[in-house]
Amino acid sequence: MIELKGRPIMSGLSRGKALVSRKPLSFLGGVDSKTGKIIEKNHDLNGERVTDKILCFPHGHGSTVGSYVLYSLVKKGIGPKAIINEIADPVVVVGAIIAEIPMVDKIDISQIRTGDLIEVDGDKGIVKILARTEHCT
Amino acid sequence: MYLTREEEKLYEGEEGWSYQVAMRILVKLGDLFEADRLISIDSAHISGVSYKTIGDAAIEFLEALSEAGAKTKVTSTANPAGIDYNHLDEMVKQPKIHERQSRIIKLYRNMGIKPILTCTPYYIRKPKEGTHLAWAESSTVIYANSILHSWTNREGGPSALAAALIGKTPNYGVHKSENREADVVIKVEADIKNEAEFGALGIHVGRILNDEIPSFEDLRHPRETQLKHLGASMASTGMISIFYPCTTCPKSSDRLERISVDTDDLKNAFESLSTSSEPPDMIYIGCPHCSFEEMKRIALRLRGRKIRNSVKLWICTSRHIRRRAENYVKMIESAGGKVLSDTCAIVTWLKEIGINVLMTNSAKTAYYAPTMNRVETVFASLDQCIEAACKE
Repeated sequence: MIELKGRPIMSGLSRGKALVSRKPLSFLGGVDSKTGKIIEKNHDLNGERVTDKILCFPHGHGSTVGSYVLYSLVKKGIGPKAIINEIADPVVVVGAIIAEIPMVDKIDISQIRTGDLIEVDGDKGIVKILARTEHCT
Repeated sequence: MYLTREEEKLYEGEEGWSYQVAMRILVKLGDLFEADRLISIDSAHISGVSYKTIGDAAIEFLEALSEAGAKTKVTSTANPAGIDYNHLDEMVKQPKIHERQSRIIKLYRNMGIKPILTCTPYYIRKPKEGTHLAWAESSTVIYANSILHSWTNREGGPSALAAALIGKTPNYGVHKSENREADVVIKVEADIKNEAEFGALGIHVGRILNDEIPSFEDLRHPRETQLKHLGASMASTGMISIFYPCTTCPKSSDRLERISVDTDDLKNAFESLSTSSEPPDMIYIGCPHCSFEEMKRIALRLRGRKIRNSVKLWICTSRHIRRRAENYVKMIESAGGKVLSDTCAIVTWLKEIGINVLMTNSAKTAYYAPTMNRVETVFASLDQCIEAACKE
């Protein structure tokens, strides 16, 4: 098991499959709030669903309305279980706070692969990779 | 970040969920930007009012806050909405949109936010010099810091709302005097006369600076409205939240890096704001919302003239200025123009009411309209806009 130490942003403990992106993500216009699908053009996760995933991406970008989109996704039950960023930005931080999902930043997300089973401890700022995915991405 | 006993209680949820969420937002943003504590604010200005920009996602959050009993602690105003309910004949005709927009306004009002829906709240209530604010809406922020000398970071909709509920904001960014010093001198070698040219200058400067603080050299006696347009466009292309209109202003220095802006730079910026040379379906003045002085100038230019039937002329201003400038409103209306309040071209539905080409003197509108409204733009001075609107 690999343990990564970051900075706690929003409290809570969550476990799930990782969905990892190398690109910044805008929730407004980038994630469909009705389906949870990533629709941002030219994004490496285009077409993937954020639903029940531990969503890992470098940082957010775009409008502050994005915070409300993250809230809406989680309240509809189609949002991510937790968020891991390299560097947190205000839009995603506020989104995680109001949606009440664990969030940790200052994590080297290149250590995590899509499909890995991971655990996020938003109180301690710790990410554990519990099981590696079978196939390499 | 240091919290008082009172603030701790709010953070722990002793006063309920809504204040706990608001405190979490302020504290976490404060941690992110290394604030040492929270400071009291004079007022808050909240963005994220138009249903077109915030959609259903925000309504759900605002409903949850409102149901949990959230109330503002300081004077709070809000940005334009998507609909002017006093001019429904001019607006998009979808009942669902009208219902959702009215629900949003009601939710904000329930929380104690004044239903003054304008991006120029400073024409109604001017905060004192040196007071701290938590204002969202980038043109409003840059005006407050640069023209009014009050202090506010560039808040987003949710953080301005959180600050309104707590009456405080984290102490970072331009709330600290050391972060308000000019970084660069912009030497203006072009002759800049009207609002549109000031807007084009801002578009250019915002593009080259990103978040550095500019101080302008050789802007000769700019009018307040010209500086308003300069700031609004600089804040559109850059992350700028403060500028100094003259190098003799305090906090500017001759040791700074100097960047020249010449006639070609200005011409290129000006031309980049037009995507079409087709005749416009709509001529739009009022981004940012018109001042009393702008209303007067528009009215005097329209005196004794008529707007062509094939084009709409929209003038947007706050309700407050609309009332004060009642005689000018009548002059504009008798020429065939419409004076709207509570909304603006960017946050309302244009394509849906048949607009394909929008002509404007606002660099900010010309910059955003092709993506936000999916319309073509023609960028021109106020005089050119009025000429294009009127019959031969």
